[in-house]
Amino acid sequence: MAAPAATSAPVPPWSNSQDDYELHDVIGMGATAVVFRAFCKPRQEKCAIKRINLEKWNTSMEELLKEIQAMSSCNHENVVTYYTSFVVHDELWLVLKLLEGGSLLDVIKHKMKVTNCKNGVFDEATIATVLKEVLKGLEYFHSNGQIHRDIKAGNILLGEDGTVQIADFGVSAWLATGRDMSRQKVRHTFVGTPCWMAPEVMEQDHGYDFKADIWSFGITAIEMATGTAPYHKYPPMKVLMLTLQKDPPTLDTGAEDKEQYKAYGKTFRKMIIDCLQKDPTKRPTATELLKHPFYKKAKDRKYLTHTLVAIGPSLETRAHKASKRQPGTSGRLHRTVTGEWVWSEEEEERAEDQPASDEEPADEHRPMNELQRADSSASEDEKDDHFEQRPVSGGLSEDMPEVINLVLRMRNARRELNDIRFEYITGKDTAEGIAAELVGAGLVDGADSAAIAANLDKLIASYHVEPKPEGGPCKAVTFHLNSADPSQPFDDKALIGFAQISIVD
Amino acid sequence: MPLFGKSQKSPAELVRSLKDAVTALERGDKKAEKAQEDVSKNLLLIKNMLYGTSDAEPQTDIIVAQLAQELYNTNLLLLLIQNLNRIDFEGKKDVAQVFNNVLRRQIGTRSPTVEYICTKPEILFTLMSGYEHQEIASNCGTMLRECARYEALAKIMLYSDDFYNFFRYVEVSTFDIASDAFSTFKELLTRHKILCAEFLEANYDKVFGHYQRLLNSENYVTRRQSLKLLGELLLDRHNFSIMTRYITNPDNLKLMMNMLKEKSRNIQFEAFHVFKVFVANPNKPKPILDILLRNQDKLVDFLTKFHTDRCEDEQFNDEKAYLIKQIKELKPSEH
Repeated sequence: MAAPAATSAPVPPWSNSQDDYELHDVIGMGATAVVFRAFCKPRQEKCAIKRINLEKWNTSMEELLKEIQAMSSCNHENVVTYYTSFVVHDELWLVLKLLEGGSLLDVIKHKMKVTNCKNGVFDEATIATVLKEVLKGLEYFHSNGQIHRDIKAGNILLGEDGTVQIADFGVSAWLATGRDMSRQKVRHTFVGTPCWMAPEVMEQDHGYDFKADIWSFGITAIEMATGTAPYHKYPPMKVLMLTLQKDPPTLDTGAEDKEQYKAYGKTFRKMIIDCLQKDPTKRPTATELLKHPFYKKAKDRKYLTHTLVAIGPSLETRAHKASKRQPGTSGRLHRTVTGEWVWSEEEEERAEDQPASDEEPADEHRPMNELQRADSSASEDEKDDHFEQRPVSGGLSEDMPEVINLVLRMRNARRELNDIRFEYITGKDTAEGIAAELVGAGLVDGADSAAIAANLDKLIASYHVEPKPEGGPCKAVTFHLNSADPSQPFDDKALIGFAQISIVD
Repeated sequence: MPLFGKSQKSPAELVRSLKDAVTALERGDKKAEKAQEDVSKNLLLIKNMLYGTSDAEPQTDIIVAQLAQELYNTNLLLLLIQNLNRIDFEGKKDVAQVFNNVLRRQIGTRSPTVEYICTKPEILFTLMSGYEHQEIASNCGTMLRECARYEALAKIMLYSDDFYNFFRYVEVSTFDIASDAFSTFKELLTRHKILCAEFLEANYDKVFGHYQRLLNSENYVTRRQSLKLLGELLLDRHNFSIMTRYITNPDNLKLMMNMLKEKSRNIQFEAFHVFKVFVANPNKPKPILDILLRNQDKLVDFLTKFHTDRCEDEQFNDEKAYLIKQIKELKPSEH
């Protein structure tokens, strides 16, 4: 934003020229983006630059614009500050405020690694202080008519001065739809982050509103106490079913020992229960939540500099880790915590997807927020897929059934593209069984079950064909949906009235 | 906190106070700070009247009708837009929300605000020039796209000289502003099919002369976006005669052949969708045929290897096979 007119020495506006920025170390990575710590020379000011590779971006630029505008239409101390954006060759550079404390998840992971967090990660005062700031950001957001849709510790950033900002809003949404629909490289995009996802969002059969953010906020509250979302151990389909069928989770849902979290008081637990009501209309608004007695425990920003920022990993550490980690060994943060289903941004891409630019480190295929993973909890999460059946160490042996990872891409009730990830174990799964499971989880319409099963079958069969055709087997199939809305013009490219299943390798 | 407590103002009073405050803000005297505050406060009250709040429903149709009438009578909409850069951050957004709500207002099938703006086209031109100013560009864009939904307003904008400024706005260095301008530009050129076709036909040389610059832009996004839009325009059946005219010009073919070879796969792919129209044309003029014949072998070879990994895109593969066949069978024409 332009400097206020009142300042004595005018500060030049944020520059749109690449040459005016010094890029320092990489502080985050994603499939289509790399985030740098940077310095704007004309302003003599630090900033973060997110470089988005637009060549990997095959959907409309309008989606991208929508989300950047959502960001630029926010002016609130608890919402990440957008400065400017400009095009450099085939990249979009987003200039954002630099928050040197990293994400709340970075701090949680770090703390869990260096101290014993069996009885909880943070005390109530810290949790209340952070969450109060998050709520203020959410309140502003919602008053703007915006829904974040991906509230979680990984998307809450901390400044060195104890500033708390909500980041990456909607970015998840554009990342999900912003993928190349016609290329085979498509992989690893997910329907949000199910561990934090509200039941009405999972059901997808009607629209949802900002109350969905309140659910995710409640899950984030649990995350701050226990270090993880309640169902983080389970694969995505299971998370969906648990969320839909079971009573709402509580602090103790993921606990190994019933007494483990007894230090947390009634007020806090009550606040969580309020947020995690299945009926969204019963959940309080952000404004109402701010009046909840729990937030009387909140302290000021300075308090956070002691309890959070000081104990967190330094930016140098995180950057160092970012540049050291190798693709095969890298944990995927969201996987670590959630057990699954993350937006593609946090997902790895293969070598062929690397940006051509040689400035970027070779091992850039790491999620943006996973810079601080707890190595101790790595075993089951390190794998390329999260499925429990998969042996923890080593790859598949000869007699192991072959696991094929697939993505079903289709539009939800609100016509947004979603990717539903699932696996197919040769010799164990059947296409019909998987289709039924998808229907059962409320992810797809029963009317599409047969089409999905038939096309899945076709794809698996062609995948197994020997000898492999030149250029490899076909890895995707697009087909018509029976549930399609006949009033909409069908379009197989835009997947309107169509769905696509592809093999992810 | 009741927003319409004991001091609830009538629409006329509210519009009057807002107008006074904006006028004071415009003068920029020492009371500017107070004026700023008054503008924000009154804007919010008007917005809440139209949209309601979490505690209050929107006002009744009668109140809203009075409000709209006052806005027309006082020309406050124009005054607000002219002073948009002086209004604070949240206030700018409120102006756009109030404007769009009033614009959408209908009485039966009539849209009174659209009729009003037709008599005050300055409103549209002021909004369009908003793209010159970074701090108000996206607010103006929001209002412009709402205007562009109405054919009468789109027509005024399309046929104005100011329309050609869009060719500059879509290339400004700030990405979100350039993209915002592009989406308005696209809306104007595609929303009302018959109006757009008539406009493009009547102004073919001027529009495509300018358009050429976008296709040759240094800016990757401009190039990619404008090429994609070109494909959409040419393949829209309403624009048939524009398409026919476009594909008879050998320079256009040369440009597309060069874009097929661009480094960017996305640009290659979009160029393919324009290139195919040249080849599929059953009545190729001689200069077009000559270029294709001269490059016959190279094109067949090139297309055979072109984006072979799009195996799941049946339509693309069918089209590609068709083009290869067509090019292979090309023979010099008799005339």
